[in-house]
Amino acid sequence: MDTQAIWLTLKLATITVILLLLFSLPLAWWLAHTKSRIKVPVEALTALPLVLPPTVLGFYLLVMFGAHGPLGKFWVSLTGHPLSFSFTGLVIASCFYSLPFVVQPLQAAFEKLEPHALEAAWTLGATRLRAFFTVVVPQARRGFLTAIVLGFAHTVGEFGVVLMVGGNIPGQTQVISIAIYEHVEVLEYGAAHQLSSALLIFSFAVLFIVYGLNRRWNGGIHA
Amino acid sequence: MSELKANITLKRGNFDLDVSLQLPERGITALLGPSGSGKSSLLRILAGLDRPQSGQIYQGDSIWYDQDQNIFLPSQQRRIGMVFQNYALFSHLNVAGNVGYGLPRTGRRQHVEQWLTRLQLDKHADHYPAQLSGGQRQRVALARALATDPDMLLLDEPFSAVDVSLRQNLRYQLKALVADSNRPVVIVSHHLEDALLLADHVGVMIEGRILQFGSTHEVFMKPNCRSVAQVLGWQNFLPVRSIAGHTVSGAWGDLQLDGEPGVDTSCIGIRPEHLRIATAEQPGIKAEVLAIHQLGAIRAVQCRLQDGKELEMHTPWDEPVPATGSDIRLYLPLAYARALPEYVVTKPARTEYIKEGDVKRRRFSHA
Repeated sequence: MDTQAIWLTLKLATITVILLLLFSLPLAWWLAHTKSRIKVPVEALTALPLVLPPTVLGFYLLVMFGAHGPLGKFWVSLTGHPLSFSFTGLVIASCFYSLPFVVQPLQAAFEKLEPHALEAAWTLGATRLRAFFTVVVPQARRGFLTAIVLGFAHTVGEFGVVLMVGGNIPGQTQVISIAIYEHVEVLEYGAAHQLSSALLIFSFAVLFIVYGLNRRWNGGIHA
Repeated sequence: MSELKANITLKRGNFDLDVSLQLPERGITALLGPSGSGKSSLLRILAGLDRPQSGQIYQGDSIWYDQDQNIFLPSQQRRIGMVFQNYALFSHLNVAGNVGYGLPRTGRRQHVEQWLTRLQLDKHADHYPAQLSGGQRQRVALARALATDPDMLLLDEPFSAVDVSLRQNLRYQLKALVADSNRPVVIVSHHLEDALLLADHVGVMIEGRILQFGSTHEVFMKPNCRSVAQVLGWQNFLPVRSIAGHTVSGAWGDLQLDGEPGVDTSCIGIRPEHLRIATAEQPGIKAEVLAIHQLGAIRAVQCRLQDGKELEMHTPWDEPVPATGSDIRLYLPLAYARALPEYVVTKPARTEYIKEGDVKRRRFSHA
């Protein structure tokens, strides 16, 4: 089995989800509470990866990552390595690609927080950090779970974007979906089958756990 | 030494708050006013949840806010307890978890148990807010706020989320609960009953200003202007056209007052329960009975004066009243009729400016 591809995919998805959580938290919080006029364009921009063909997203990222692209140039001057066809480039691309899957569940959860619960915690002496972890996180836990799982699963399943900006370098950018594609290309149906069924079972298990937990948590609070 | 003095302004779009307030050291103060008058905004500012644009707030010898010194003490450090309008209970914590939220870990359990017993919530310690009635939720919110032993208790419309039939009892409970403590309590409400039943002091707020502040009795008996009187349930105002000595007159007739009315008098105000039908010897204003409504134990008699102005008189339900359509004469007992100007803004002298360094900033730690 292509353990290298599996390991790389898990690494990519884990790093992507961690980075996305860090960026998405303030963004989702802002989207959930702002009355600013630029909320709608920002929302639309965030949702863009949902509807854009991955090849389009991949193409523009490739242009940006290239040695002459704005981001690529900066990266080369910083590290001496190009961004395109590298693992780092893949992480950045995945962050764009999976952004809506993390931002949207968080935003929905933040919008549903009880009004004033956070302020109540402050008046009771809780620091902002403590109030966040003891009020926002537990009340929005379904949103956090959905964001983490969907962000992870979506990154595991990406293909078009990886192909455009990452290519197919074993151990560098060859993730599971690309490995499956290559197996099929050279008619190794058995190996393709192995990887595909593993991905299928993984995806089903993830969704099963999410729906199950959501159901249980829902019952726990309002029973 | 825990008297609170505040001078603050806040402008947001059309909303304009400009308040000078000196809270008595103890007792319950009710801030009354129509919705949108800024009373909740003022409460949020006192709680440290919103920052004003200018002014100062001093609590005893600590500075909560001073724009000139750029000091703004956040909620966490003000040692206040706040009960929000919809209680803002933590839905993911049970009653004991809610009450104990602001308490240090050591001794939390005993402390929580004490408060649960005190507010008759023992049986509900394991229940979640969604499982509680409105009255129980209010008690949890109160227990949670009081458990941290705050220096001041702030309540925003504490009875608006409970059934009307339960309110009276909850008012008594609240009064008993805070009566024995020395901490000042501020209640924001638009219900007169809250103020009459609970408050030692009343501030009347209209359009972002405190128009009158004083003891409950004084404010209710002697509103200083028509706008305040209206908020306090005075319904009858006779427009005054001219003043000559003790006599005021209008299209409705004239009235001989006890004292000389102020030059800015715009009307004579009287509460419906003080209007009477004049006896033969008493001076009276001619009126016609328009309609009679039964309001529980009182009867509301709607009368129309000769100039078309309508007045309402409240009489006990078992007292005879003239039939609808009959002509009567209304008597205004002078002790209860007040000459009122249209609008008055009372501003207590601005709290004296305290120089930097005169006051040691007291930092509160909330373990």
